[in-house]
Amino acid sequence: MMENVIELQHVYKAFKGFELKDLSISVKKGFVTGFIGGNGAGKSTTIKLIMNLLKPDSGTISIFGMDYKKNEKEIKQRIGFVFDSNIFYENITLAEMKKIIKPAYRKWDDTLFNQYIDMFELPLKKNLKTFSKGMKMKASLTIALSHHAELIIMDEPTSGLDPIIRSELLNILHNLMQNGERTILFSTHITTDLDRIADYITFIHNGQHIFTKEYYKIEEEFAIVKGGTNLLDRDTEQEFIGIHKTNHGFRALTANKQRTKNIFGDTVIIEKPTLEDIMLYTKKGEERC
Amino acid sequence: MLNLIRKDMILQKKTLPFMLLFLFVYLFVNVSTSWVAIVFCIVIIMNAFQTDETSSANLLLNSLPYTRKEIVSSKYIGALIFIFLTLLTIFIGNWMIHREIMQWEILLFITSIVMGLISFAFPFSYLFNSKYLLIGFGGVFVVYMVTLSFIPNLNDRVRELVQTVLSLDNSLFYLGIILSVGLLYVLSWILSIRIYSRKVF
Repeated sequence: MMENVIELQHVYKAFKGFELKDLSISVKKGFVTGFIGGNGAGKSTTIKLIMNLLKPDSGTISIFGMDYKKNEKEIKQRIGFVFDSNIFYENITLAEMKKIIKPAYRKWDDTLFNQYIDMFELPLKKNLKTFSKGMKMKASLTIALSHHAELIIMDEPTSGLDPIIRSELLNILHNLMQNGERTILFSTHITTDLDRIADYITFIHNGQHIFTKEYYKIEEEFAIVKGGTNLLDRDTEQEFIGIHKTNHGFRALTANKQRTKNIFGDTVIIEKPTLEDIMLYTKKGEERC
Repeated sequence: MLNLIRKDMILQKKTLPFMLLFLFVYLFVNVSTSWVAIVFCIVIIMNAFQTDETSSANLLLNSLPYTRKEIVSSKYIGALIFIFLTLLTIFIGNWMIHREIMQWEILLFITSIVMGLISFAFPFSYLFNSKYLLIGFGGVFVVYMVTLSFIPNLNDRVRELVQTVLSLDNSLFYLGIILSVGLLYVLSWILSIRIYSRKVF
């Protein structure tokens, strides 16, 4: 059996106007898990629960097989984090920021830190508030990677970044995964970022876990189906997660490609879905109900 | 946890020497040393507190391998260090400028007042926000004024009480002060940890 680095079991968390319902998610060791869902689906809340920034109303959360009540510091020693917004003090330099963070980690590695600084061409002596969004993300990533973290948690690290920096980031993450010991949890709503690096996809919607699947299986199971609206009736519509109808025909998402093929045969066109399609049609399907 | 206190020093690095220099200059002017010391202590301590009050700072500190207990405790221990630094500067300043050794009673008085004020300011700020402190103090003042209207001679009574206490045997009196301020500080510390542990970021 494969080892789980993160395990959430039956987690509930309620806020005003939002709740996570019976969330059970696991993240496998040695892989990149892409964490997707629309705005307000509960991605950030889930990540905060994983980081112990929030406590669940009920349910259990275990990281590296340990629980936060007893092993908070031990767990956090082994996590590197990147958030979507800058969380560093703004009025100091990156060198000073390092001075603040370094003593917190047992395995801090200055050589590694300097390597990333050189690679990203980050200025050490400039105030962090003068950094661009891309530079801030790189600074954040540098700190996250300089203490040999086994688990790297990233909450929307690519949001607001230009394609070149996003591509750089993805390359680095790809290289990080070579030794098989590291685990990355990467939340995003720019789903194309995940095409290149994700092994698993975890999808949540409205505070509920929809699925966790190996990326390649998604393409095997799900499909976009296109055809004439005359093919749709009460029964056939049940085959789809969500349907988009126009005057020219319909476009729908199925979670059972083979069955759909058997039912419709050559009357429809079947295409590969993108993650975006899956998110979009799940939302549509819900509106239909 | 010492790392967290060191962090406050690094963050205050630019303002702290400036503040202490400022304090030094103040000693030339004939204002009450105690008053200046109290104001400086409070300003420095609350300044350090405010830097960590933003949601991003909370996010950072709580994501690093620290417990919430340590984060709060670092503020309480750090405050004592800031008091010490301020008093040291005043002590040295007084000696250099006026060639006089400060009475330890005055140092004790300043420390007690500052610790007493911090004991209220920290839990209040953790519960609400330090920017409401002024409003909070305003509220306390109003309550005081209202009480005054019911007990017209309240001020005299307080004065009387202080006199009685002061007339007590000195060493006993000072011990009492130290113990009660210390107790207040520790209770405030525990309360702050409780409040902070329940915070949502």
